[in-house]
Amino acid sequence: MNGKKSPVAGIKIENLVKKYGTFTAVDDISLNVKSGQIFGFLGPNGAGKTTTIKLLAGLLKPDTGSIIINGYNIAKDPVNCKLYTGHIPDRPFLYEKLTGNEFLRFIASLYHLPTSTFDKNVNRLLDLFDLTNWQDHLIESYSHGMRQKLIMTSVFMLETPTIIVDEPMVGLDPKSARIVKELFKNHARIGGCIFLSTHSLEIAEELCGQIAILLNGSIKAVGDMETLRKEASLETSDLEDVFLELTEAEELTEVISALKNMD
Amino acid sequence: MPALQYGIRRTLLIPMILSAKNSFFPVGSFPKKTIGAGIFCLVLCTILFNVTLSVVTYFHEQDELGIILSLKIFQMAWILIFAMLIFSCMVSAVSSVYLSQDNEIVFSAPISTPELYFMRYTSNTIYTSWMMIVFSLPIFGAYGIVFNTPLLYWLLIVITLVSMACSATCFGLLLTVILINLFPARHTKDIILYLSLCFGVLIIILIRLLQPENMVNPDEYGNFIEYFSTISKPAAPYIPAGWAANFLSLYLLDLEIDWLLLGLILLTPFALYFLGEWAMKMWFFPGYSKSQESFGGHHKFGHRRKYKLGTWQWLFSKEAKIFARDSAEWSQLFMIAALVVIYLYNFKLLPIDRAAFSEEFITNLISFLNIGIAGFIITSLSARFVFPSIGAEGGAFYHIRSSPISIRRFLLYKYLFYVIPFMFLSLTLVIISNRILHIEGPMWWISIFTNLFITWIVVALALGFGAVYADFKSENKTVTMGSMGAIMFLLTATALQVVIIFIGSSPVYRIVRRWLNDHVLNLSDLYFLSAWVIISIVISLVLVIYYFRKGIHMLGNL
Repeated sequence: MNGKKSPVAGIKIENLVKKYGTFTAVDDISLNVKSGQIFGFLGPNGAGKTTTIKLLAGLLKPDTGSIIINGYNIAKDPVNCKLYTGHIPDRPFLYEKLTGNEFLRFIASLYHLPTSTFDKNVNRLLDLFDLTNWQDHLIESYSHGMRQKLIMTSVFMLETPTIIVDEPMVGLDPKSARIVKELFKNHARIGGCIFLSTHSLEIAEELCGQIAILLNGSIKAVGDMETLRKEASLETSDLEDVFLELTEAEELTEVISALKNMD
Repeated sequence: MPALQYGIRRTLLIPMILSAKNSFFPVGSFPKKTIGAGIFCLVLCTILFNVTLSVVTYFHEQDELGIILSLKIFQMAWILIFAMLIFSCMVSAVSSVYLSQDNEIVFSAPISTPELYFMRYTSNTIYTSWMMIVFSLPIFGAYGIVFNTPLLYWLLIVITLVSMACSATCFGLLLTVILINLFPARHTKDIILYLSLCFGVLIIILIRLLQPENMVNPDEYGNFIEYFSTISKPAAPYIPAGWAANFLSLYLLDLEIDWLLLGLILLTPFALYFLGEWAMKMWFFPGYSKSQESFGGHHKFGHRRKYKLGTWQWLFSKEAKIFARDSAEWSQLFMIAALVVIYLYNFKLLPIDRAAFSEEFITNLISFLNIGIAGFIITSLSARFVFPSIGAEGGAFYHIRSSPISIRRFLLYKYLFYVIPFMFLSLTLVIISNRILHIEGPMWWISIFTNLFITWIVVALALGFGAVYADFKSENKTVTMGSMGAIMFLLTATALQVVIIFIGSSPVYRIVRRWLNDHVLNLSDLYFLSAWVIISIVISLVLVIYYFRKGIHMLGNL
């Protein structure tokens, strides 16, 4: 992406711990995401998903443990680590007074993106996301979905081997959501890796070869769909049942039947 | 359901009351910040009180004319404050009534327009006028001391100030509601901002050009009778500020209460409130609907050039574009331009020829003290523009954090972006004032280099403090300027400059005195000067490095 040869994609997390005061948000997590994988990261609200994502993106410092992305240790070599990692956050914060195109140039220059790669990718991605006619307008006039698509464009134009994504489909229309899914699949196909945190079990089931379920900051289960089904002792169920079983939401069944019996 | 309606009105104020309570008195911790801010306000009030007291006493000593002039200034102050309140209420009303983030929650709730008006009116009045009431009390109170009035005067000032603030807010809200129907909300906000800035600039220039200090000098006036009759007229008899000023002037002079004026002062806010409520019922919803239009949405910007690599060019470009496209930012340049003009104009007016010492000595002394004054201007502007620049990145700061650029480099680029225009401003202030003062020899170079050095240090400190106290959630840079971090920066930077100037006074005096007497430079004097330079550099660097490192640490651990 920056003229140098890109490293092999991959994320290795070992014994990661992050505390906020006395509250442990991430509790001794270890994971291994390989090149060519889309890794799903699921869990109920407050399980520690966004904290983990922020740790991976270098936005938070872990208390203990190590994160190695594309072969670079984020604590020892954060600049190289970030150079080869794209981050799509759950909330699209942008510079309101820049135009979409100016924002893309700004991000490209932060990542030392060569002119040829910029030219090759930007127009194609803007076209894909229907943003071509909006690229010279101020971001303050963009809708939530357009902002999300602009961030997607900024990350995919970089061609980073690893992409970290927090809730990718929020605010996207069906067409854009479909495009994003295809872009994710293509990225994995060409050897990249994607760490995807989501609440949408359909998306996780459709895209992710490996899934980890997080509960109260710890990994409850990790593996492909088969492994998770076995873990939940629900051999024929879909991901929703598996998820509910593994996140100890059995009481939900009682709540649902109580709601059904309500007048 | 009147009882329920009363309940709703009270409920609507709860977010404001609880937010204030939580920020001033956080649960489970000692309110250090609140006490600090309280002490700061108290100190400022004391300074304002003492300055006003000495100025009004000075006017009083000039017999009848002085008394009338002091009351004229009193009346002008009321009118000025009234106008400022209307403008600031209008700017704030556009944001709070039409563009506020809680609008979607509040407007979708079952709340009637009068209740909404009550909520926005109350919060606007408190936000826009508390500062004016607190800081004008010591100013107007000082008049009471000089005019030797009984304690009732203080009660009358409080009543008139609160009543005038309420009238100004009602009037401002009324105008805003009407204006929003003519223009989209964001556009209206810009228009009001330009108008208020132009108004401010005009007032400052007018006051300076009038040279109020010469008003008590009878030689300045050809036709005294005409002048006397002009200033003896009562102030603007058709606006609440004029009523307040005339009412209090009468009490100051004769200890008499004009009941008609008091009635007008007390009843006008109620009349304006109901008028505003009616206007809100008539025009609020069409205006609010219009305010959803996005300013700039239909606007295309510039022509794109080919993308070229270059991190620092793009960081500079980003800063410059955001500054240029934010009218709240660049419009402040008018104010700075007016400040520079007045600042330099004052040097032209200095009565140097009437001084007791030699003219050369006085001009050199002024030039030396000017280092501090120019430094203070640079400090204030740094607090306004440089200090909030880190927090102004807002949520988008994560792009910087997750990109392969270190915080250290990011701060360095920011520093380079801001230090260049500040150096230009600092050099403009010092070189032109030195020219006006006809400064030559060592003082010329000492003032230029000291000011340059102070500019480098102050801008670096502003960034360091800005990083330590970065508020990424703040929507308004002007609010950031009044934060605890900004106050700490102002105090630290000012104290540093006082120390530098104080330590430098002796070596600079030795060198300049010898130069003025013999036109030579002595080696031992130069040693003293060098010692001053080294000490200043060491102290400043220690401070800058400490706050820069602390800032980097804070930003790295968000």
